[in-house]
Parts: sequence; structure tokens; C-alpha cells
Amino acid sequence: MIQFENVGFRYKRGPEVLQNVDLEIPAGSFQFITGASGAGKSSLLRMLYLDAEPSSGRISLFGRDVTTLTRDEIAWFRRRIGVVFQDFRLLDHLSAAENVALPLTVAGVRESAYRDNVTEMLHWVGLGDKMDVRPPELSGGEKQRVAIARAVVASPDIILADEPTGSVDPAMAERIMALFVEMNRLGKTVLVASHDLAMIEQHKLPINTLQGGTVVVGTPKKRRSA
Amino acid sequence: MTTDTGTAPATSTIRSKGALIPFQASSGGVMLLIVAAMAFLACFALAGALATTRIAATWTDGLAGQATVRVDATEDDRARRISLVLDILRDTEGIVDARALSERDVADLLTPWFGGTPDLGELPAPGIVAVTLDPLDEPDPSVVQARLDGASAGAIYDDHGRWRNRAARAARAIGSLSWWALGLTIAAIAGAVFLVVSIAMSAHRGTIEALRLSGAEDRFVANLYQKRFFWLGGLGGLIGSGLAFAAFAGLDALASVRAALPMLDAPYYWPLAWAGIVIACGGIALLAARLAVMTTLRHRG
Ligand SMILES: Nc1ncnc2c1ncn2[C@@H]1O[C@H](COP(=O)(O)OP(=O)(O)O)[C@@H](O)[C@H]1O
Ligand SMILES: [Mg+2]
Repeated sequence: MIQFENVGFRYKRGPEVLQNVDLEIPAGSFQFITGASGAGKSSLLRMLYLDAEPSSGRISLFGRDVTTLTRDEIAWFRRRIGVVFQDFRLLDHLSAAENVALPLTVAGVRESAYRDNVTEMLHWVGLGDKMDVRPPELSGGEKQRVAIARAVVASPDIILADEPTGSVDPAMAERIMALFVEMNRLGKTVLVASHDLAMIEQHKLPINTLQGGTVVVGTPKKRRSA
Repeated sequence: MTTDTGTAPATSTIRSKGALIPFQASSGGVMLLIVAAMAFLACFALAGALATTRIAATWTDGLAGQATVRVDATEDDRARRISLVLDILRDTEGIVDARALSERDVADLLTPWFGGTPDLGELPAPGIVAVTLDPLDEPDPSVVQARLDGASAGAIYDDHGRWRNRAARAARAIGSLSWWALGLTIAAIAGAVFLVVSIAMSAHRGTIEALRLSGAEDRFVANLYQKRFFWLGGLGGLIGSGLAFAAFAGLDALASVRAALPMLDAPYYWPLAWAGIVIACGGIALLAARLAVMTTLRHRG
């Protein structure tokens, strides 16, 4: 499903952010990516949602080399990938419900067909009473929940979440993680980037740690003892 | 905003009428003004082009197929020379008929130039022969002249070619200028839309990025702009051409333009032409908007 082979990445004229990254995330698995702030977690996810290309090595996604995709194919691949962005990327001129519905709208689904689905998603993240509110009038945690609802509403094959619990209280964080677990149980591949080790350790799931620009595979315990 | 009553109607729709892209009302107004002005000018260019084409055709058609031969001779020699000329002409390929004008005919021809009824006795009135040419096979004037000279008939052949050519060339020049003017106004509409869309896309950068990241194809983004600019273009065209048509209908000074365009008097023509111009303006704006979006998105990568 997702395969990194000796991947290197750098921003234009910047230093190498990632190098020699080998990573395999089989379909249906749930994995974490952790690492200190600035370790390159967000950059790694960016390549996966096709907003950046590796500067060396090869990333294969749904069996395709990501550098060979046309612009239309990139759009179609993105419909199979739900993303919770670290900075949410909500549209301020649309209501919370319209933001959640965006992946369905751009895929040409009619409003009558997705209305119940979107309403249910917003209720699930506890924003049933904020459907018509625009993002500028939402708190950080509420924005994050809108972003999460948007990421999963179209039932994508892969869910990428960048610090999805960064702006919510522990109770909501637990609910959000439970949602991802539920999605994973339904067969979706989930990849969560987070620097919150305490939260990660509660789940007995594979952890990929980014350190010095590359992936150190192992549990936090192993890492600590090293 | 929303009150926390929990009684929001279950049937409320999610997609409001609000656009996915937050267009600025002011840029729409500017667009409307530009397209309306251009459509107004385009109507005059189009009318000019059609009118001159028609005028040129009238002039050339009206004079085509005719020629005259002037026979200079003294009174006593005139009849002999005219019959000699008639024999030569009737024997020339491409000439259907040749007929000597009577003094009365000549007097009628000259009346507009001299005023009143000219007394031909005071002028050495030349003999005039009216020649009807085969419109599909007009003879070469130099060949006809050579034949007349060969018989020393003292006759001058004139197929009005020089005047015909000059008039037609002038009409064609004005006509092609009008077509150019029409083309330029169309190009100006397209260019203005392209520019406005490109500027709008910079302002909407974040929105477009969010749409793309949610899985929107380039053509989905293009459609959002196309739709808006089709309506703006169409509305601008409606206003601009409406004003131009009102001017055609109302201004006496434009009566001659109207006279040259008899189709304007056909009752079905006005709404048809109007609708055509409106759709054309909308269509041009749509295509320019699409081109601008596709170009910008490709360029951004
Ligand atoms: N758009 C960008 N342009 C240039 N450098 C960037 C950009 N985004 C991130 N970086 C740099 O890349 C490195 C990794 O950043 P990031 O992937 O955001 O790390 P993390 O998500 O683990 O905190 C950091 O040094 C950061 O400064
Ligand atoms: Mg990050």
C-alpha cells in the first residue's frame, strides 16, 4: 500500500530533511510516526498526500511510483486518502458542514446524497450544534475536529493524521484515537504522526521514529534502552 | 450565529448558495463594465463589417456586366463609325450586346452633370455605345480596345474597371478594418477575463490548494471560474449589445448603417442577433477563464 525505498527529501535549496528512509505500511495496518519537532514527520506525510515529491529514492502508493502520476491521477489518489493537516487547512468562508463535505463535493457527490453522512460525522466529533459556524468562530480544538471529520467522511482507503490530538483535551484525544481505531477495524490503513509519546504508548501498534532524518524502527521502550 | 438549542431543522441543507470560491463582488463589477463596453464596440464593428461588405457588393454588382464605348467623330462621320464599332463589338467574345444610345439617352445621362436639359447642339456630343458584358466571361478591356484601334474607329472602351476596383477596394479595406476591430474587441474581452481570473486565483490560492488537496481535478476548479465568468460575460454582452442596438434603432445618424443592413429590419433578426452576441460574450469569457485556470494550475504544479 505504502512503500518508501531509500527516500530522501529536501525543500528547495534547503538541507536534506529526510534521507535513506525505508518504510513499509501494509494495507489495513495502523502505524505511528513519531520524532521530535522538526524531525520531518509532516514532510513525510506531505509526500504521501502527493503535495511533495521525494528528491531521491522511490515512494510507491497503491502500487504506483508517485513521481509518475498525472495531475488528474493525483486528484483521484487524493480521494482515496483522508488527511488531517497539522494546520487544519479549513476554508474560512465555508461553514463547518461545508468544510466537512468538501471531499465529497469535489468528487461530484450531490448534497442530497451526503447530507446525512456529513451531519452524522459532525455529531460524532461533538459539533452537531456548530454545523453552520464558520472556522474563524471555532476554537482550535473545534477546528481540529472539523478537520478530522473531513478526513474520514468520504471513507478513504488511507487516513493520514498530522498531530490530530494536538489541540484537544485528553478526553477528546481518546475519542479521536478511538475513531481511527474504528476506521482501521473497517479495513482502512491509518498513519498517525505525533510527538505525543504518552498517547502513542497507550496503543500496542507499530511505531516509526524519525531521528537524524531517517527512520529508526522500534518501540519507544527499545529506543529508550538504546 | 448558531444557538445551542439542538433544534436545528434536520432537513437543513449543507451546501449553501455560497460559492466554493469566495469571489469578490467588486471584481465582478469591473468585469461587467469591461465586457459591456467591449460588446458595445463589437456591435459597431460587426455592423460596419457587414454594411461595407454589402455596400461593396452593391457597387460592384451594380456596375458589373456593363461597359461603354465613346466614339469621337464629326457629325457626318458618326453614324458610319458607330456601326463599325457595333460590328466589332458584337463580334467580340464576352460581349452579349452593344447598342448605340440615342441623343435623348445621352442627354438623360448628362442631365445630372449639366443641370436642366442640355442643348447638345452646343457641345460636340460624342457617340455613346452601351455594351452588355457576359458577367461570367468579361472580355479583357485591353483586347477590346486593341480591336477597336485596329479598325481606326476612334473609339474608347471603358468598362468602369478602374472606378469599380477602387470603390470595391475602399469598401473592402473599411470592411476588413471592421473585422479587425471586431477581432480586437473579442481579444480584449478574452485578455481582460484572463487577467482578472489570474489575479483572482492569486487571491484564492489557499482555497484552490484546499480543493486540490481534497481531490479536486483541475477541471473542477476551472468549472467554478468558468461558470462565474460565463454569466458575467453574458450579462456584460447583454448590456453592451443592448445599448448598441438601442443606438442603431434610435440614432438618425445611423440610418445609413441600418439601410445597408436590411436584415436588421427582419422581426426575428434582433432577438436572434442579440442572443448570439450575448452567448458569444459568455462563451469567450468562459474559454478565457478556463485557459487562465488551466495555465495557472499547470504553472503552479
Ligand atoms: N515549507 C518548508 N520550506 C522549507 N523548509 C521547511 C518547510 N516545512 C518544513 N521545513 C523544515 O523541514 C524540517 C522538517 O519539518 P517538519 O516536516 O514540519 O517536521 P515535524 O512535522 O516533524 O515537526 C524542519 O527543519 C523545517 O524547518
Ligand atoms: Mg509537523
